[in-house]
Amino acid sequence: MKSIVLSSVAVALLVFSGCSEKQPVVEKQQEVKKPVAQEVAAVETESVASDDSMVDTSTNSSSHTMSMAEIESQLSPVYFAFDKYNITPEMQQKISAAAELGKTGAADYSVKLEGNCDEWGSDEYNFALGLKRADAVKKSLVAEGIDPSRISMVSYGESNPVCTEKTQECWAKNRRVDFKLLP
Amino acid sequence: MKILVSLIMIFSFMFASDATIEVIKKVESLPSIAVEDASVSYDDTFRLQFFKAVVADLNVISLFNVDRYHRVTEYDAKRVLVENKDKNYVLRYQMYEDDSEALNVTMKLIEDDAEVYSKSYKVKKKNIYMFIAHAMAYDINEYMGEPSVEWMKKKVIFARIVAPKKSEIVIADYTLSYQHTIVKGGFNLFPKWATKEQRSFYYTSLDGLKPTLKYVDIRTAKVKSMMSSDGMLVCSDVSRDGRTLLLTMAKHGQPDIYTYNLDTKKFRRETKYGGIDVNAQFMGKDKIIFISGRLGYPNVFSKSLVTDEIEQLVYYGRSNSACSSHGEYVVYKARETSNAFEANTFNLHLISMKTDFIRRLTATGVNEFPRFSDDGDAILFIKNYKNQSAIGIIRLNHNKNYLFPLKYGRVQSMDW
Repeated sequence: MKSIVLSSVAVALLVFSGCSEKQPVVEKQQEVKKPVAQEVAAVETESVASDDSMVDTSTNSSSHTMSMAEIESQLSPVYFAFDKYNITPEMQQKISAAAELGKTGAADYSVKLEGNCDEWGSDEYNFALGLKRADAVKKSLVAEGIDPSRISMVSYGESNPVCTEKTQECWAKNRRVDFKLLP
Repeated sequence: MKILVSLIMIFSFMFASDATIEVIKKVESLPSIAVEDASVSYDDTFRLQFFKAVVADLNVISLFNVDRYHRVTEYDAKRVLVENKDKNYVLRYQMYEDDSEALNVTMKLIEDDAEVYSKSYKVKKKNIYMFIAHAMAYDINEYMGEPSVEWMKKKVIFARIVAPKKSEIVIADYTLSYQHTIVKGGFNLFPKWATKEQRSFYYTSLDGLKPTLKYVDIRTAKVKSMMSSDGMLVCSDVSRDGRTLLLTMAKHGQPDIYTYNLDTKKFRRETKYGGIDVNAQFMGKDKIIFISGRLGYPNVFSKSLVTDEIEQLVYYGRSNSACSSHGEYVVYKARETSNAFEANTFNLHLISMKTDFIRRLTATGVNEFPRFSDDGDAILFIKNYKNQSAIGIIRLNHNKNYLFPLKYGRVQSMDW
């Protein structure tokens, strides 16, 4: 009986060392009367290489980056009201200025519109709200004559704040769409 | 008289197992339990650490009033400690290190000075001691004949924001005391287990030009890109058989819900409203619930995947932006009026499809991302309160909440 128990424990050890199992598995050996120690395995996992998740920026030549950065600094964020994605007349002026730049100085570049929200909620709805904000800016840019194929969009929800204080002013700064130029 | 009695009986049967009704008095009648430490190896710090994990797990199973004092005794002592003689139960355990440096724990449950249950456990390294504590609580719960707390052994996967546009994906036990960062670097969110066995998961990578859904096998750490979509792409839910995904995608900047069949590789657009439709969750096999802004504010709706019929599910709360379902129950996040509380308070509420009751499950802070356990016994959620992020567990049938704070960063989303 004891040898059966020992060999089953040995087999279990081989299995676990062989495939690096992640389950916090608790082996059941209810039929054994003697108190046999349960193997409790932890969550053992391989880390996903961080290289895979990094953006490769090595293709940007330095002179190109400089001029892109210069133009980008002229593109100020478009701000939105709480839980809203419509564009106010004041913000429309900013978009018109951005569209003008898109036709002149930034004519060689594409633009990525990054939608952002304040900290109230990390759920999908907040992400969708950020996206609708980016989409509103895109529609406005297209109406101003920018080719839609030059515009891509992404939403970062509340995960990309520029201000982290707990004030109304700070939250307002985070409800925005940023312009990022792409080569 | 007979009619009256039978009416009362029918009434009590109807509501006997309704989780939307709070149980308030029950706590007073719980049996007491004390924990006695008879460890022979390890230093006091580690002994206390293990003791605290055991006490926390005993609390979470919600069957006992747990004594929080750390008392030391001999494992074979005939009687329980004098301080514990009035307790209904005493859990005595012994930790010892064997020649291979593995952590061994032997425990026995004592009732009226008699051993009623015993079991031994072993882990290869002592730093994963919490899995023994969970296994002990699970077994004691089984011994007491209570509904299974299988979820206690489940792994939680969550995205932790560490800086703007920087995050990690972490696999943890449900108390967050064990943590393994599986995806480091970059900006990766919305992890979702791919199968019930929890051996692989999906997540959204926001590092490329377009949001991309990726699939990771955790045994090999191999990453596979599944698909990309402009603007937004989230895997909101996976069917029980793991073969159908519920996605929020935003082709042409329009967030809508899609089903994706992994076998046929076919998408089906489930919602077509011009505003926001997100956060779809399977409700049985042929129905989904989701969040939509179609009333001018976010609220919970259901949709039949067979007849395409859409129905509003929640009539309370002006901003209900996240939900999860199990059987007839739906838990959702609602923004409370800002007058009575601080600027913004978000609470979780539970409703049943069969009654009109609403039960508020949380009281303060920002409570979001509710997720039912597989068996519907518990709800896991994220709580952000006073600059601290925590994962919480609500034991529905015991009317108890437990919080497990995160040491650094903020929990963005999670699954279990």
